[in-house]
Amino acid sequence: MNAKCLGFLFVFIGPAYSETYSEELFIKPLATGYVYSFFQFTVIREDDSFKHSTLFPHSLGDIIDRFHVAELNVDLTSGLWRHKSWGYPAVDAPSGAEISARFHNDTQDVDKNWYGLTNALSGLLCTSLNFINSANSYESSSDRVYRYSNLPRENVCTENLTPWKKLLPCDSTRGLSSLLNSGRVHNANYHSLGIHFRPLCLAGKCKYELRQTVSLVYDSVFISFNNNYDWSLRKMFGTGLFKTCPLADYSKIYLDTSSNSSVPYLISQEPDYMLKNNIAVYNLNGIFHLSAIVPRPKIVVSELRPLLYTDRFITGFGQEYGGLVTRIYNDHKSSIIATVIENIPWFLPIYYHTLKVTSNGVRVTPKALIYKPGKGRVRIYYLEIVLELAPRSVTEISVQFDYVFLKWQEYPPDANHGFYIGSAIVKATIPRHATSLTFDKSLIVDNLNSTGSDYLICLKTENFIITLPTPDFSMPYNVICLACTVVALAFGPIHNITTKRLKLTTAKYVPGLASVAQKLYVWLENIFWSKKKNKTGKAAVVKVFVPEELSYHPTLGHVSEEFMKDKVDYIAS
Amino acid sequence: MKSYFLLSFLVCANFLNINVCQANHSNNWAVLVDTSRFWFNYRHVANVLSIYRSVKRLGIPDSQIILMVADDMACNPRNPSPATVFNNADQQLNVYGDDVEVDFRGYEVTVENFVRLLTGRLPPDTPRSKQLLTDEGSNILIYLTGHGGDGFLKFQDSEEVTSQELADALEQMWQKRRYHEIFFMIDTCQASSMYEKFYSPNILAMASSLVGEDSLSHHVDPAIGVYIIDRYTFYALKFLENVKLKSRISMKSFLGVCPKQDCISTVGVRIDLFHRDLAKVPITDFFGSVRPVELTFDFLDISNTPL
Repeated sequence: MNAKCLGFLFVFIGPAYSETYSEELFIKPLATGYVYSFFQFTVIREDDSFKHSTLFPHSLGDIIDRFHVAELNVDLTSGLWRHKSWGYPAVDAPSGAEISARFHNDTQDVDKNWYGLTNALSGLLCTSLNFINSANSYESSSDRVYRYSNLPRENVCTENLTPWKKLLPCDSTRGLSSLLNSGRVHNANYHSLGIHFRPLCLAGKCKYELRQTVSLVYDSVFISFNNNYDWSLRKMFGTGLFKTCPLADYSKIYLDTSSNSSVPYLISQEPDYMLKNNIAVYNLNGIFHLSAIVPRPKIVVSELRPLLYTDRFITGFGQEYGGLVTRIYNDHKSSIIATVIENIPWFLPIYYHTLKVTSNGVRVTPKALIYKPGKGRVRIYYLEIVLELAPRSVTEISVQFDYVFLKWQEYPPDANHGFYIGSAIVKATIPRHATSLTFDKSLIVDNLNSTGSDYLICLKTENFIITLPTPDFSMPYNVICLACTVVALAFGPIHNITTKRLKLTTAKYVPGLASVAQKLYVWLENIFWSKKKNKTGKAAVVKVFVPEELSYHPTLGHVSEEFMKDKVDYIAS
Repeated sequence: MKSYFLLSFLVCANFLNINVCQANHSNNWAVLVDTSRFWFNYRHVANVLSIYRSVKRLGIPDSQIILMVADDMACNPRNPSPATVFNNADQQLNVYGDDVEVDFRGYEVTVENFVRLLTGRLPPDTPRSKQLLTDEGSNILIYLTGHGGDGFLKFQDSEEVTSQELADALEQMWQKRRYHEIFFMIDTCQASSMYEKFYSPNILAMASSLVGEDSLSHHVDPAIGVYIIDRYTFYALKFLENVKLKSRISMKSFLGVCPKQDCISTVGVRIDLFHRDLAKVPITDFFGSVRPVELTFDFLDISNTPL
């Protein structure tokens, strides 16, 4: 019995899977007083079965196992990353929710797993990812097991941050994650939560990496309250660091001081060491606070522009036709090969023949082009264009579309707010540049140390919002009200005419306009009665009274005296 | 050895006998629904979060609270202090808190999802957090708030659930043994019309106003710029803030929570479907999570049970 118990214990505790956990924070002052802070919490494990883990979040491991996920990226973002003035972020994410996944190659029904995965994640992260269906997701043109979708309308708030923090080994009680207070995170100009899972394979041996990332951009003028560019951990996050996470093998803060040459600032803490001369590194052990004082705040920081950035907008007017323009700016001195992926929802049907690609105003032919036409309510319009961007050029992709009428039930409750269109994706390999950061390795420190010459960037353009022709939803109600009024008004007289028993003898006409109506009435009634007479064989004698001859009945109004006499008898009897 | 165990069980059983008899439900759930979209309906989100805060504080875990919020007020661009929802202009109590899990949000809050949630007729991929996994031992608190009229409650200003539909959904729950007792609370105009059609047993219902009456909001926060909470829920939260997990406050005292001079509307109560003495029903039977211990006097053979 005892031996059995011990055996059980060994099953659960025995095989020690190697897992490492590191938490890092990278801070970079951006142009015009913005401060970018990028948190990364990385778990790397060697075992691909997530049945048991000590640091890897079990709830996520279960989902990864169950839906045969090989690679997963989820980003929940609020705000717009301004590439032109801020350079490139560590993780580029469009506003709203974005999710992409690659499943194992042997997965049979990829779509089923994809919808299962998005539903499971919607429960895990309190998001509306369950709205993902075939009408807003696409598979890669080259990869059968890859799926992508974005929900540009998705808002990000504490209910997303709470479950996100619960995936961390130290939750939010200790370590760098204790800086992530919901009030401060959601007060940032740009904030993005990410979950990135991927295998790292080298010579047939794989490790599995889970990076949980947070990107925050604060306006230092806004947070300092003194109209200067001073910033500190306390000003940004509302708290300093008090305890490190004991589970972390690696706990560091990096401060990019490369902008110090243009705008000098003073840092309250001496760094533990410098990395590549411009990155100050702080090892975290115990209470830590960091602040920066910018003595000459009025100088606007001018930074080098990134080599490649984008711009996207809608053209046209009215609610019938429109156009979609995506511009790609290449500021590099040599040409760059870029892939542009547009996913346009089905309610914005594009005309393929209007697709026009120009470079500095001259029409060019793309190197490759894949177009999958959309289908109403079922499939998006997918456009993948490979372009060679000429040196120092602006390349413009434009296409015309129609605004369509939706079915009544398809309009959301706030249809007049407009419909969001997700971002396009621009992928390119660009040379290393002064403003660029490469984040393709597991740890921030490895990325900062990286010396590769070229690296892949993936830019996400702006979302935009369109107004589809929206009917007046109160119209049916108005019609019902009006129609009912008309019916009610008509019903009274018709009912009176058809049901009232009038005993009429001879006709007496009063002169004037009323007599015309009387004649008409008598004529109509003659027809009516004559028909009836044919059927029943009874003759009806018609008499129209002048008002003086009538007497008043409390419910029937003016009636003849004869009628009144009958009625009174009737009531009395 | 075995007999010692049995003996100690029996002793415990006798000792705990009174408690065992009192607690006749095994778990607590809460379904809290705000059906209103748009910023000027901030107060309805504050309403639902007030109840959320109370039931969470009194021990119902997030996994057993289904929170439906039809719009994002906390991180709304119009909210001057992001990630907060206040129930009072003095901004002392952030009912949104730093640890909130919203299960249905935005466009997900529909009549269909609500009725499916109650009746358990869900698509196969539905995650656990969007399911009401109750059983015949579950006490459920159902709280609804929004804009309503005589016999209906509007969802998102675009569709309605009628009182008959709601009554039928609850009957279906009863037939499927999905609840033990339900406490139904509703804060909307003409609220009592929503429970008049109920015909299933063990339901205690309470409404913020009678048919023909409007439920009114409490006060405006000039910093936020809109009415921030409704009267009935404001006083209910005030009451619930004083409740502790071990309080001996009964449901009877809760039913008198918002007298007419406070609420302006008349609070409606329906007790004919509920068969316990309300003075003896602790408020934590619905607002808290009391985990009674069930004792078994037989030995269970678990050797063949698959792990």
